[in-house]
Amino acid sequence: MASNKKYWKSVEELNENSSIVDTLKHNEFVEEIPTNEFLGDKENLESSSTTRRDFLKYVGFTTAAASLAACEGPVVKSIPYVIKPDDIIPGVADYYATTIADGFDFANVLVKVREGRPIKIEPNKDANGSTNARVQASVLSLYDSNRLKAPKAKGAEISWSDADSQIVSKLNEVKAAGLPIAVLTGTCASPSTKKLVGKLNETFENVNHVIYDAISESPALDAFEAMYGERALPDYNLDKADVVVSIGADFLGDWQGGGFSAGYAKGRIPSEGKMSHHVQFESNMSLSGANADKRILVKPSEQNLALIKLFNAVVKGISTREASPLNDAILKAANQIKKAGSKAIVLTGIQDKNAQLLALAINKFINSEVIDVVKTKNIRKGNDAAVAQLIADMNAGKVGAVIINNSNPVYTLPNSADFVEGLKKVKLSIACSTQDNETVNAVEYGLATPHYLESWGDVMIKKGEFSLMQPTINPLFNTRQFQDSLLKWTGSSISYYDFLKESSAEILEGKSWNQVLHDGVFNSTVIPSEEIEVSEIEVDIDAAGSELAKIKGSDFELALYTKVAMGDGQMANNPWLQELPDPITRTTWDNYLTMSKADADALGVVNYNVANGALNGSLVEISVDGVSETLPVYVQPGQAKGSLGLALGYGRSNGLKEEMQTGKNAYQFYKDYNNFQSNVSVKVVAGEHEFACIQLHNTLMGRGDIVKETTLETYNDHSLNPRKTWNKVPVVSLDHNEVEASTVDLWDEFDRSVGHHFNLSIDLNSCTGCGACVIACNAENNVPVVGKDEMRKSRDMHWLRIDRYYSHEESFAEDVEKKEAGTGVMGYKNTMAELEDASENPSVAFQPVMCQHCNHAPCETVCPVAATSHGRQGQNHMAYNRCVGTRYCANNCPYKVRRFNWFQYPNNNEFDYNMNDDLGKMVLNPDVTVRSRGVMEKCSMCIQMTQATILKAKKEGRPVDANEFETACSNACSTGAMMFGDINKKEDTITSLVNDTRAYHLLEHVGTKPNVVYQVKVKNTQEA
Amino acid sequence: MKSVKHHSTLSRLALFSLAFLLFFSVNLSAQEANAANGEKLYKSVCAACHKLDKKLIGPALKGITEKRDQEWLIKWIKDSPGLIKSGDKLAIQVFEENNKLPMTANPQLSDQDILDILEYTKGEPVVKEVAATQEVDPGVELGKKIYKANCAACHKLEGNLIGPPLLKIGDKYETEWLKAWIKDNNALVASGDKLAKEVQDSNPAAMTPFLHLSDEDIDNVLKYLAVGDVKAQPAVATGADTKIFENPKFGVWPTLGLTILAFLLLAMIVAATTNRVVVEGEESTPSMLKTILFNPFLRFLSVIFFLLLGAWLLFGWLMQIDVNEGYQPIQPIAFSHAVHAGDNKIDCQYCHSSAKNSKTSGIPSANVCMNCHKSITEYNGELFGDYSKEDLDGEIQKIYDAVGWDKDKLEYIEGAEEKPIEWVRIHNLADFAYYNHSQHVTVAGLDCQKCHGPVEEMHDMYQFSPLTMDWCITCHRETEVDMTENGYYKNIHDQLAKKYGVEKVTAAQMGGLECGKCHY
Repeated sequence: MASNKKYWKSVEELNENSSIVDTLKHNEFVEEIPTNEFLGDKENLESSSTTRRDFLKYVGFTTAAASLAACEGPVVKSIPYVIKPDDIIPGVADYYATTIADGFDFANVLVKVREGRPIKIEPNKDANGSTNARVQASVLSLYDSNRLKAPKAKGAEISWSDADSQIVSKLNEVKAAGLPIAVLTGTCASPSTKKLVGKLNETFENVNHVIYDAISESPALDAFEAMYGERALPDYNLDKADVVVSIGADFLGDWQGGGFSAGYAKGRIPSEGKMSHHVQFESNMSLSGANADKRILVKPSEQNLALIKLFNAVVKGISTREASPLNDAILKAANQIKKAGSKAIVLTGIQDKNAQLLALAINKFINSEVIDVVKTKNIRKGNDAAVAQLIADMNAGKVGAVIINNSNPVYTLPNSADFVEGLKKVKLSIACSTQDNETVNAVEYGLATPHYLESWGDVMIKKGEFSLMQPTINPLFNTRQFQDSLLKWTGSSISYYDFLKESSAEILEGKSWNQVLHDGVFNSTVIPSEEIEVSEIEVDIDAAGSELAKIKGSDFELALYTKVAMGDGQMANNPWLQELPDPITRTTWDNYLTMSKADADALGVVNYNVANGALNGSLVEISVDGVSETLPVYVQPGQAKGSLGLALGYGRSNGLKEEMQTGKNAYQFYKDYNNFQSNVSVKVVAGEHEFACIQLHNTLMGRGDIVKETTLETYNDHSLNPRKTWNKVPVVSLDHNEVEASTVDLWDEFDRSVGHHFNLSIDLNSCTGCGACVIACNAENNVPVVGKDEMRKSRDMHWLRIDRYYSHEESFAEDVEKKEAGTGVMGYKNTMAELEDASENPSVAFQPVMCQHCNHAPCETVCPVAATSHGRQGQNHMAYNRCVGTRYCANNCPYKVRRFNWFQYPNNNEFDYNMNDDLGKMVLNPDVTVRSRGVMEKCSMCIQMTQATILKAKKEGRPVDANEFETACSNACSTGAMMFGDINKKEDTITSLVNDTRAYHLLEHVGTKPNVVYQVKVKNTQEA
Repeated sequence: MKSVKHHSTLSRLALFSLAFLLFFSVNLSAQEANAANGEKLYKSVCAACHKLDKKLIGPALKGITEKRDQEWLIKWIKDSPGLIKSGDKLAIQVFEENNKLPMTANPQLSDQDILDILEYTKGEPVVKEVAATQEVDPGVELGKKIYKANCAACHKLEGNLIGPPLLKIGDKYETEWLKAWIKDNNALVASGDKLAKEVQDSNPAAMTPFLHLSDEDIDNVLKYLAVGDVKAQPAVATGADTKIFENPKFGVWPTLGLTILAFLLLAMIVAATTNRVVVEGEESTPSMLKTILFNPFLRFLSVIFFLLLGAWLLFGWLMQIDVNEGYQPIQPIAFSHAVHAGDNKIDCQYCHSSAKNSKTSGIPSANVCMNCHKSITEYNGELFGDYSKEDLDGEIQKIYDAVGWDKDKLEYIEGAEEKPIEWVRIHNLADFAYYNHSQHVTVAGLDCQKCHGPVEEMHDMYQFSPLTMDWCITCHRETEVDMTENGYYKNIHDQLAKKYGVEKVTAAQMGGLECGKCHY
């Protein structure tokens, strides 16, 4: 039936006699098409020999030719060495033992080298080496295209010989003028460098070696010196500790150079019913606080008070009677310490000599076994007073020359302007640096030095532990080591290598140089015995205490800290580190002010998620003693009221790609090198900041089948059946009977008993959340960097993420209880809404999640092209060349671990990170495909590593050794939280771990039967 | 009766198909059994010491039947030592001619076997070497042998090596003096011989004494040195390079032919049966094409058929894109695998040394070439391709240019720039496929030829295998894993044998078909 409806465009059309309607009817185009413009030029058109038909022919032909030519493969050249080095077999990795000592991180490492290029850093486990995220990422800094590539004089390139002759003549001038020469270096812990500075002193006289740490530990050094007569840091063997009390010390982070997590984690695994008890007093939520059994919120200024009270309670046995939560907590901590006796330890991060003295005094009083005052550490040697003196002298014109090495004072000094002013008054200023940083651009001579992977060197990380540094690649640029420069300037003709060999001969006690170079470390056989009494000086502790008590607080106090990713900021141009989510805030590419919820509410500061899930936050302006800066606010659960946190190491701009110039410089607030600053005023300003925060959910909402947590008490109660109580296995109904979910199967089970079957165990108790595994995974698997904008859209490519969960109640167990208590529709709804908010001082859990390699993988069944399939060895395979990018698999994955390549990340100027230039690409692992746009990717359980291990065994004609299988993450994990192995091999540690009472699978009720197993988190909540 | 005519269509069809079948079978049976068996026997029994066209340990065998009596040959092959002992003159002569190297007796061969072998030696096209027919003093040959064994390490005929050139050395010095010098030059110098002192001083490198050489030996060497190498005429390109390794390359055509044939057969049968009904009673016999055109069912059938055929052909064509079987690019140096691996029997892994350790077999670096080419400065073998001797010497010079070697002074030129040789890569496996040579060479113990073909016969290297995934997994399916030798498999072997109930396990059963084993 035809419709009689009349459609009209304008009222005019309804008027049947309108002339306009008539005109419009015959004129399809309201506006005239400007054909005349291109057809009007008749002359030109006619003179052209190309007709329209010809044109079409050409187009057709060229298109056809181009597509035909595309079928032909390109000619690939293969260029062998002209003279092949003996130790290189193309395709086989060599490992070299060396040591990183960049002034902030010190570690014995193994460097994986393929065809002469270092591609990965691994801990040298034979030398007790452990790596953090920065050490793992340092290999990429070697290939930093913004490095200082050649010596410069006043910004212009200069040859080494010219630079040398000019510098030597100037040094002689300075010598003649009788002015001192200052050598300003970061902590180098190198005996040979010390000797060379001494040599410089012999030649030019009046050389003053000032050691400067960007993040100062000077008060701790001063306190130790006052007490034990040696300017060094004591070592802490936290594996021996039964009770750890920390007041503001983030010892799982970078406190006193870090490196304590391995020992700490050993004591945290409940064995024979025992584990250590950890109490943390702090203002910022730090890694240490997140891992503590008890965390007490204390404002920075009150931490001094807490320490004094703890000292009084433990040492003097007196305590004030006033009842306050803090007092209560201190008393409990003091009781714990007393009970544990010599197995307790008190650590403090308060940058005050008196505070450090108090802590040392407590440890001495309880005769702590944990603190080692004999084999001291050399990894922080900075002297604040000396640095301050130097700057004063420079400005007074009392310094002739300044030679800076491995330090960036122009960026890191709080009074940087004074320093720059002072530099202008010295006759000669030199900065030796790997990076083209702020200092290099402020001095006269910027001398390019090689990266540690291109250098020789020696490091005495700890007394009696002598490590060597060896080059793993020929210098990429026109660089020269600082030590070689010193040798040259002092008129010596030998190279630093020869000098080093000679000078270390006396340390090596007759052991061969080659052997030590191979091992990476030499442990002195002359053990400093406990008998040798370190010179003890009487210290007036009471005076120290009363001095400390005088420090006044203010309404708002600022606590500066370092992030596990950025550290002191020297690796700011490293995209891996920029993109590593902070373990606590899960935010990347940024620093920000952390603020408690209460303060934020009071100020009207908000954090909220925008439509695409990304986080936005308000801006505030803070000012500390006249220095002010506008900063975004991140509302941080567990932040002490009245305190603010701000990460150092951001806000650099010199020698950085534009994308890496993130955050604000916090060093400007680092007055007197004190990480606690009072007199802070906060003012809300207009505008908002866009964070690249990659975790939307902060709390667990009582979902006990994701993170399981229990107390040591419950764990030790053998009357309980763990599978029914604290490690409850989900049940389902089968034939009207309740059975364990894992016993019900939709699919046929394969026989996996033959050959290898890989499993990965993750212990939530010993995972500190440090992020080293994430970077190791990036390096091993060529994971691309996507940048801040993409991170904001949750398009991160990390194959391994570390989820961080807060609790709404005091603990996760209480969360679950609360959730289950919510009855009725409204009751449940209200409970869930409530559970979304983290509590003021929440319990924290870290959970590394990667592909779970399900035996019954939901992703495999939905792939239309069978690009993801299951291997008999337990690995879920991903064939990139087969994937067409439907993303069904990611939708069907209950763990959300699959990553989609939205873009072509390599060779793309939109993603100008390491995969966009030839230099940065040198870090790529040639055994792993670089993925293209439009394919899914995910954790492969490092199949290239397991296959290589199998092949090695086959070639040697032997079975695979116990615990020989490793993945990049398990290898990088210094705490042993990640253990990888073959469950068909009884000798592997993993075999016992998968059958442990603590073992559980993520979302077990889904029935995916993963090959990744987690261990229930146990908290030691017993209070003495 | 009219139906007879239909019959004739059918019989024509039968004849046609018969002819077709015949054509194929004739093609297949083109080789005679005799020579084929001979070839097999030859390969297993004789090839270790003999080649058809040139001397190896024993003499060349091509055309041997023309030279020697058949009866004698049978006797000789069966028991040559016995024949020599019996005093047969010819036998003794042959024995003498071949440096008194006794030939293995082969009593296991029947007369027929031997005849087969002889047939095979006949069958190959004969290349007559001019040099072979020339009269040459047997002493020269002997001398050459001794020269190669004792002198060639330090001396060349022409040009300096470690010692001076030796061609026509007899013209320069007296024979007796030479004998004394060669036997113990130190003693000669010590005895106060002026000439000896002079010669010793002229060259810094001391010469080894050769006390074990008899006067006769030295005479022979000098005979050889007087003549030098009698240059063999360039071999006539035989054009009959053995094809035993070649993959059968039928492509899609035989299958296509068969399919069309099948279709035609079907069409005719349908036509024949349907026609009988349709055409009955009519005078004319419709042609087959007409039948197909006017029969709606057949029309439908043909449309479907041609659509499927088209799709299949297109698919086949698309599948061969970037399959570079036979890819033979021109290399920067006319390096011949046939000369190195074939004639000179250099082990593959001498140059491709990383094949046993690494995923890549490794293109040898120029310093590996120099291990031999420090002393081999010119090419004296049979010429190949269009290259003249000068061309090939020039190719060797390219190595010297790359490493900076002065072939006259015999030393590396100081400060010379290293110029890497830019080979054109032949085997380009896609980046997303992981292949490891050591797995196949060291663990599986495969011969290189299994994938790379008869490299020892290739003057110009080419890609022998398609390197497609199909090719990979076919091999994995067929190849049994030898689990008895390798300690790694011990445990797995017992378990797997139990699981599959078979003693032998293929690479596929070991997980060799899993995606992630090659794609990561």
